[in-house]
Amino acid sequence: MKARTGAVSGRNILSGAAGKLATAAAAKIIKKAAASYRKPAKKYTGSKISMEGFSSTFSRADLKFDGVDHAGVSYEARIFFNYPEADESTPLTLDYGYAGRFHIFGHGGCFGDVGHCEIREQRRPFDPRPGHPLTPAGKTVIATEAIRQAMKKWKEVTITVVPIVLSGTKLCDYEDVLKFDKVSIVTYA
Amino acid sequence: MADPTLRPSIDSLQQKPTQLAALRDAYEKMQALAGTDNRSWIYWAGLHGYPQWQCWHHSRIGQGSPRGYNLFLPWHRAYLVYWEHAMRDQNADVVLPWWDWTSATSHQSGVPQSFVTPKVGAKRNSLLNGPVPPMLGDPERFTLRFPGSPNRLPTPSDVDGLLALTSFVDFTAQLEDIHDLIHGWTGGRNPSSPGDGGDMGSVAVAAFDPIFWSHHCMIDRIWYLWQLRQGVNNIPDDYLDKPLAPFSLSVRDVLDINRLGYEYVDSHESGGH
Repeated sequence: MKARTGAVSGRNILSGAAGKLATAAAAKIIKKAAASYRKPAKKYTGSKISMEGFSSTFSRADLKFDGVDHAGVSYEARIFFNYPEADESTPLTLDYGYAGRFHIFGHGGCFGDVGHCEIREQRRPFDPRPGHPLTPAGKTVIATEAIRQAMKKWKEVTITVVPIVLSGTKLCDYEDVLKFDKVSIVTYA
Repeated sequence: MADPTLRPSIDSLQQKPTQLAALRDAYEKMQALAGTDNRSWIYWAGLHGYPQWQCWHHSRIGQGSPRGYNLFLPWHRAYLVYWEHAMRDQNADVVLPWWDWTSATSHQSGVPQSFVTPKVGAKRNSLLNGPVPPMLGDPERFTLRFPGSPNRLPTPSDVDGLLALTSFVDFTAQLEDIHDLIHGWTGGRNPSSPGDGGDMGSVAVAAFDPIFWSHHCMIDRIWYLWQLRQGVNNIPDDYLDKPLAPFSLSVRDVLDINRLGYEYVDSHESGGH
């Protein structure tokens, strides 16, 4: 299959706090995290993605998220086109621009000492080990019909992602949940 | 050659009191062993997240591959094989059941009844919860769950959609997403203390909950059903020799479940006259 993409950058992934937790400092982390427990998770609204130039004869269309952080809570991410006011209560229908969802099974925070959750970018030659377990994830949402409808209705779309926390631990930030590198629309002939 | 073990659904296991009792017995014995004993619940569940962090989720590079690859399905298949043998060391008659979270029963009542009942007779129900080792200053405790609304569980048509995917890389990513949903849904959040989620909702502690094993059995079964339709050896060639640490198996070794000594079965019975 041939892929055609349009992409927009997300926020920076893996803020320093996620990578510098220490067991000895757990109480401090928990106290800080506690302030976020009852707040709604922050949503993301990106810049515009052009819908022009895509062939109309694609067989499948995806929303592709790269560099998704999964160090913290478990959550559901609901994706909407051109509906920046979307929230947890927005109906999951095309009328509201709903395009699909993905889920993250979160690590639950850092249970190790300082540096435990830091991801080494550089690998030594001959290192036989698999990469770090917190290597950011890729998520693909198959959204063929929603993208087809969006192409008929709009020349460009703005993507809003509403994260809904499903579960976590007392080590997690419940407010700043959604972190990823970029989101793309990809169609396949 | 010995017959394969037949892994049943929880729904059918609940109709067979002897098999259900064997499962409770095996889990009770594993849970009673000290965490320092490598036959124990804490030892085997601790391989996944805290404290050994061996589990595999999402794509990573490494092990000689410059591009990302995802051992989520083969790694958990190997884990279940070792787990099932650890169970049978405690009770030779036990089989690992799968939790069909798409079933009408699950969509009505959520987590299966046999995993929710607090007591069986006068005894603690070993399927309700499992021991978690001391961590972060907290003493040893038992797992908790705060499951979501059953109507948010995946449907049979969601699984049918997965089975129609033809590429392993595509299939495993989509199945892992449903797997992620079930973890978060089952763990949930404590309504009176929202920072304390149920254990299934975090990689670190999920495997200490007894339902973890039946959830992953369902995931493994869906991979098996996909293999039946799309090919047992339908997996990128460069995956085949990847080791599934800490188990002495490679990806190639876990592709055929019959070679691992088990099979999936579903049966429904009615009394004769």
